[in-house]
Amino acid sequence: MEGLQNESKNTPKNKIEIKDVNFDYIDKKSKYEALKDINLSIKEGEFICILGASGCGKSTLLSLLAGLNKAKSGEILVDGNPVKGPGTDRAVVFQQYSLFPWLTVKGNVLFGIKQSGRKLGRKEREKLAEKYVESVGLSGAINRYPSQLSGGMKQRVAVARALALESDILLLDEPFGAIDPRLRLELQELVSKLCTENHKTVVFITHDIDEAILLADRVVVMEPGRIKNIIKVRLSHPRIREELSGTDEYEKLHRQLISAFYDQVEEQIDAGVAL
Amino acid sequence: MKGKLRLDKGLIGGLIIATVLMVVNIVLASVLPYFTSHKVYYDSTAYVVVILISYVIYIIRLFLLKKKSVNDVAVVLFGFFILWETAYKLGWIHNDLLLPSPEGLFHVFVEKSGEITADVWGSVRLLFVGFILAAVFGTLLGLLAGWIPRVREVLLPISNVITLIPPLMFSAYLIMILSTFRQAAIAVIFFAVFWPTFQGTVVRVGQIDKQIIEAAKTMGVGTFGMLVKVIFPYCLPGIIGSLSKSLRGAFMCLAGAEMLGVNLGIGYFTEKYKSFADYRCVLAGIVTVGVITTVIDMAVNKAKNVLIKWEN
Repeated sequence: MEGLQNESKNTPKNKIEIKDVNFDYIDKKSKYEALKDINLSIKEGEFICILGASGCGKSTLLSLLAGLNKAKSGEILVDGNPVKGPGTDRAVVFQQYSLFPWLTVKGNVLFGIKQSGRKLGRKEREKLAEKYVESVGLSGAINRYPSQLSGGMKQRVAVARALALESDILLLDEPFGAIDPRLRLELQELVSKLCTENHKTVVFITHDIDEAILLADRVVVMEPGRIKNIIKVRLSHPRIREELSGTDEYEKLHRQLISAFYDQVEEQIDAGVAL
Repeated sequence: MKGKLRLDKGLIGGLIIATVLMVVNIVLASVLPYFTSHKVYYDSTAYVVVILISYVIYIIRLFLLKKKSVNDVAVVLFGFFILWETAYKLGWIHNDLLLPSPEGLFHVFVEKSGEITADVWGSVRLLFVGFILAAVFGTLLGLLAGWIPRVREVLLPISNVITLIPPLMFSAYLIMILSTFRQAAIAVIFFAVFWPTFQGTVVRVGQIDKQIIEAAKTMGVGTFGMLVKVIFPYCLPGIIGSLSKSLRGAFMCLAGAEMLGVNLGIGYFTEKYKSFADYRCVLAGIVTVGVITTVIDMAVNKAKNVLIKWEN
């Protein structure tokens, strides 16, 4: 079963290092420790899924990686340099509503291309934008505005815009959480394909176990505030949902993740009852 | 599929009634004799032209909108004209000075066409200068204050007080301190538009979806770029929407300011004939203001549809 995955190209170096990161949410009355001593190294080209129930701090971790929030202590290194704020070396895909409503599909992708800082002529930029729109399968809707798109199409555009930044790192915060299951599968396969093709280092936040198995090289299971477990997924790419389900490896992973995931949910429920 | 030029049965009834009323109007205007004596009699051509123009507008709107309410408006309007005309000619209204005949009212636009044109042009020019200045500065300052908390915390309380004072109350004072009436009128319009635009923009900036700002940040957009490339376009539909409202308010303020002392403009026209006790002209001035406001409103809405392609 090992060796199915092409893991042995002279041990890739660490792309992202999260070192002893702590983060608190503070409001007027109370302090809430969202992340406690998080440590995680992510290799170049690796696809990491962070799996956890809502409120476990997984989105907080992503916002720290994106540079939208600052860790209380500890540091996050990208290529060995500490993250000081948002930057075009890390592209982000948000849950929803992050497209610019006043720009067309093409305009949104062009925005990403312009922000990437590449020196390109107008014609080249347009061509590139069309290429990215095509890669997410939206050529037919290239001149539509976001208000004229379905939720799934919007997220395709958000993916295209993030790819257009041409960053090595892609951060996705439950990008398909609000999309109906049939379309979600299509989008998952698309993202998996595009990230492999473009050699992205990916951090993908999700609360969907199947999604994590389908996409990840490693699944990081979180419980409130900390990392509970890291599980390797040694399934070959491309992974097709129908072919996977039923295989022993898949069932084993699924059980492993379910027990990791639901233990913690039960604990939370118990704690809630105890209160 | 129904063609563009076809109407539902329900609409045809209304169309017939409105058309009959319109024809009755014209017949009354040109044929009905005066049953009582009046001091002056006016040529009814202008009145008939107004009726015909109203009818043409009605027909266009009916075929474009295909709504019953369009019929209702036309029936009310033509019905009102019939009442007015008959009341006048049968002698139910017998005060030529305060209540002119419809012929008399609309004849003003023929008699004083040059004067009215000049006055309307004068008003509209003042309006645009003051309005554009206020819209530009109000939006700029609003974007800044909306985005930078320190600027907002200084300016918002000030604007909250100032917007409570009716802009017309400034005008008497402004006319005293500014050297020309023209400047004063522009200043009045400026104040009438500036503060509402400023406040509206601040509110709109505050309502921006957080994810849009974060998405822009992660794409490396800086403070200035954020204002120009993200916040401004995001707020534009709202800004234009509130501009159409404040433009109407501005026109009212202008007419008011002109009454206080400018020597040109439709407000001045109205005020002048009021002191001559020529209420026929006063009414004509009022009608003109109504027409201009409507035209401005339509123009702004048209501009909004052209500029804002991404909504609706």
